[in-house]
Amino acid sequence: MKRVHIILLVVLALAIGVLVSTYSDSSTYSNFAKAKSEGELIHVIGKLDKEKQMEYNPFKDANHFSFYAKDKDGQECKVVFDGTKPQDFERSEQLVLTGKMESNVFHAEKILMKCPSKYTNDHLEITEARAIKPI
Amino acid sequence: MQFTGEHLWLGKLGQFFVVFSFGMAILTTLSYYFSVREELDPNRKGNFSWKLLARSAFLLHAISLVGIIACMFTLIYNHYFEYHYAWEHSSRALPTHFIISCFWEGQEGSFLLWGFWQIVLGSILIWKAKDWESGVMTVIGLSQVFVCSILLGVSIFGFQVGSSPFILTRMVMTEAPIFKDPNYLSNFLTDGRGLNPLLQNYWMVIHPPTLFLGFASMIVPFAYAITGLWTSRVKEWISPALPWALFAVMVLGTGIVMGSAWAYEALNFGGFWQWDPVENASILPWLILVAAVHVMISYKSSGQSYITATILVLSSFILVEYASYLTRSGVLQNASVHAFTDLGMKYQLIFFILVFLGISLYFMVSRWKSLPSSPKEESLYSREFWMFIGSIVLTLSCLQIMATTSIPVFNEIFHTQKAPPVDLVGHYNKWQILFVFTIIILSAFSQFLKYQKTNTRVFFLQLGIYLVVSILITVGLVYLTHTGFNTMFVLLDFACTFSIVSNARILADAFNGKMKLAGSAIAHIGFALLILGALVAASTRKVISVNTTGLSYGPSWTTKNAQENILIYKGEPYQMSNYKVTYLSDSVSGPDTYYKINYQKIDPTNGRSIENFDLYPNAQINEKMGGLIASPSTRHYWFQDIYTHISEVPGAKEREASQEDSTYTINSYQVKPGQKIEVNKTEITVSELVRNAQVKDIAINPEKNDLAVGLKLNLESEKGKFTTEPIFLIKNLNILPIETKVDELGMKFRFTKIIPETGSFELQVLSKKPGKRDWVIMKAMIFPYINFLWIGTLIMVIGFLFSIFRRNNEWVHSQSKGSKKKNKTPIPA
Repeated sequence: MKRVHIILLVVLALAIGVLVSTYSDSSTYSNFAKAKSEGELIHVIGKLDKEKQMEYNPFKDANHFSFYAKDKDGQECKVVFDGTKPQDFERSEQLVLTGKMESNVFHAEKILMKCPSKYTNDHLEITEARAIKPI
Repeated sequence: MQFTGEHLWLGKLGQFFVVFSFGMAILTTLSYYFSVREELDPNRKGNFSWKLLARSAFLLHAISLVGIIACMFTLIYNHYFEYHYAWEHSSRALPTHFIISCFWEGQEGSFLLWGFWQIVLGSILIWKAKDWESGVMTVIGLSQVFVCSILLGVSIFGFQVGSSPFILTRMVMTEAPIFKDPNYLSNFLTDGRGLNPLLQNYWMVIHPPTLFLGFASMIVPFAYAITGLWTSRVKEWISPALPWALFAVMVLGTGIVMGSAWAYEALNFGGFWQWDPVENASILPWLILVAAVHVMISYKSSGQSYITATILVLSSFILVEYASYLTRSGVLQNASVHAFTDLGMKYQLIFFILVFLGISLYFMVSRWKSLPSSPKEESLYSREFWMFIGSIVLTLSCLQIMATTSIPVFNEIFHTQKAPPVDLVGHYNKWQILFVFTIIILSAFSQFLKYQKTNTRVFFLQLGIYLVVSILITVGLVYLTHTGFNTMFVLLDFACTFSIVSNARILADAFNGKMKLAGSAIAHIGFALLILGALVAASTRKVISVNTTGLSYGPSWTTKNAQENILIYKGEPYQMSNYKVTYLSDSVSGPDTYYKINYQKIDPTNGRSIENFDLYPNAQINEKMGGLIASPSTRHYWFQDIYTHISEVPGAKEREASQEDSTYTINSYQVKPGQKIEVNKTEITVSELVRNAQVKDIAINPEKNDLAVGLKLNLESEKGKFTTEPIFLIKNLNILPIETKVDELGMKFRFTKIIPETGSFELQVLSKKPGKRDWVIMKAMIFPYINFLWIGTLIMVIGFLFSIFRRNNEWVHSQSKGSKKKNKTPIPA
């Protein structure tokens, strides 16, 4: 066996490793029910429940924000975000929450929100907020 | 309908330039193509009519492209908001130096920038490339055709091609009711939407042009490779392409680091690299071209790895196109907040990739048999073998980033719903730390090897010495930087040290006469420093704004929630780590509010202040851009940075309310000069009466019984000493007291009455009621050793400059030798 072949094999093995890791590390867009059963970090696509009270009091704690969100299946869940309240949060139309479920409360470490643009119709503006520490 | 106030001629002129430059780009490409045919034809008559035509077409193309830029600049500079580009990306309030940034905020402008650089590069090549001109310029011309097609904005067979920068606002928003008014410009569209405040940063003036120069120059090595294969000069293209490849690597690398400098200085996530898809897209072609440069050099010195070099050079430019597809087609919409939105040119960009991929494949396959293969297997103790391994590792590193960044592309193709890894940074780091470790180790020990064959005894001896030295230095370094908590970081510290020490040895040799070795040694040292700085800064950065009040925060609060944002009240010192921070005051400049935050470090033994400085982080409440936009302020030291940013400020209503009198307690006093009073722990001394006081912007006319008298006050409290001078003003027989404000004390002063009977004056002191104070929420971080990252980049650039000159000289030298030899047969076909 020539050295070139050995190198080729190692490269192939690493390339497959890279692809497998991309596949296994990638997640799916999911819902609260799954978050509850799996208990792992997960992406949930949902909407802010505008009927229910959001909680943010910077004088008490500037790093604590909580609200209620409904996932695609309509299931509702309390969400806690350890950070300052993202600006314009009330206007958001869709939320992509990254986090995990702990005792029936979803702890988000990242919120990606889509807000309707004030200028062009049918155009969404996307902003992102990160919690102060990863979960 | 007839609209008034529009400047339609400018758009028409601009659109003419767009179409004309597109046409001329096609003509340039075609005539250069025939010029190559003409040069390849053994029976040619010796006139270069096609080349002459091609050069003229290129000149006209260049002029009209500069014309487009001039038109766009005119409409942005003159605030012609009837044009959508000006309305969307600029506003009247914008300072002039940022008008230039408006240019590349939009998609069309950034493509124009790309086209502009290709013109500059094309002109240099026409001047310098000699007998490579026709082939190389055919490829550049073709790329220019695609870049111009993106600005076309015309419909061909019902298919929208490009998006014109000269489209009118009323054409984009056809539904908006304001366009029913013929005077919409003077009545409604009086100001533009403005430039995103995050882009209002000096880095954004230089980062995009540098990045695009990098992208644009990557076509040059690609064009040389294609020309080499096309005109059967399969071996010769490497020499002239090498300095260009080095140039592209240098400029793109600088552009990428400038982007992270911008992220570090202007964005408030507190970091310089986020593995964001847009960042990743720019690094893909860079990694591949770095790999290509190494095998090109290896081929020149040893005749090995020709095919690898060619494939890598060809892939690097295709990756540039793939990067622009990723960032500009809207495919990343769900994954990145930085990507451009879709302008409907997805298919155009895919077509762009396919054409260049097709050309590359065609020439690789059709010339396959004539490509030089490696003469024999490289020795294990040869430099070229390890350079080849290094290139493979760089390629794998690129592949890993590409695979994960392309998840949205896979979703698009296979209609899946995969999301990027939840722990994105962790996912990339676990692979890339491994790759970067290998690369740096390779860049160190291959310096002890020679091309072809090395004396193994000498090699192991030298290697051993430098290994021991590096280990000793690493131990010291780990101890100093406190990175000992993670084995991987210790190993990386070691790798970087090893590389710096080994390359320093080469550099020492270089100064002893072997100057041509200096470039690579310097560049490798710079790279190792860059990685070391990035690594230490990212791994040991420390949040120092930790809340220490110890309050309880309700049931959903768990202990692991460290409190990194702190709320501080104006004028109230707050102990934060080693520093006492005080929010002193704020000042408004344009749309920004700058918050003056004072930092004081107190020596605990004697209570004296050993350090005292102010930082001015700013924030603006920007309704248009969706809320609070904050930019940090940083105190730079040699070995660390202190970084502060505002996370939250009171809303506009709350701010206004806090300025009203109802939030103040008012006390009136009758005072005489020399008298002292005490209000709210502040001692106020009335020092003197100032006759003929000056009032800004108000003319005092004594003949009309105007009067302005000031009362000079000295204030002393534990917050410091201040002076202020409220003024009693009579203007046009009205009494208008002019109040003064001392933010630090939360006090206002008014001089309201002169009482001649007693010779005294009435002074009102307004002090802010507690609870209604101004506040900000801020976060502060320390980034240790981040300067290594910037210094490393600078050193790397210097190294590349050395290498570019060396490789360029080599080529020019070989040309002059070659032309003497080949004087009688000038066709190198």
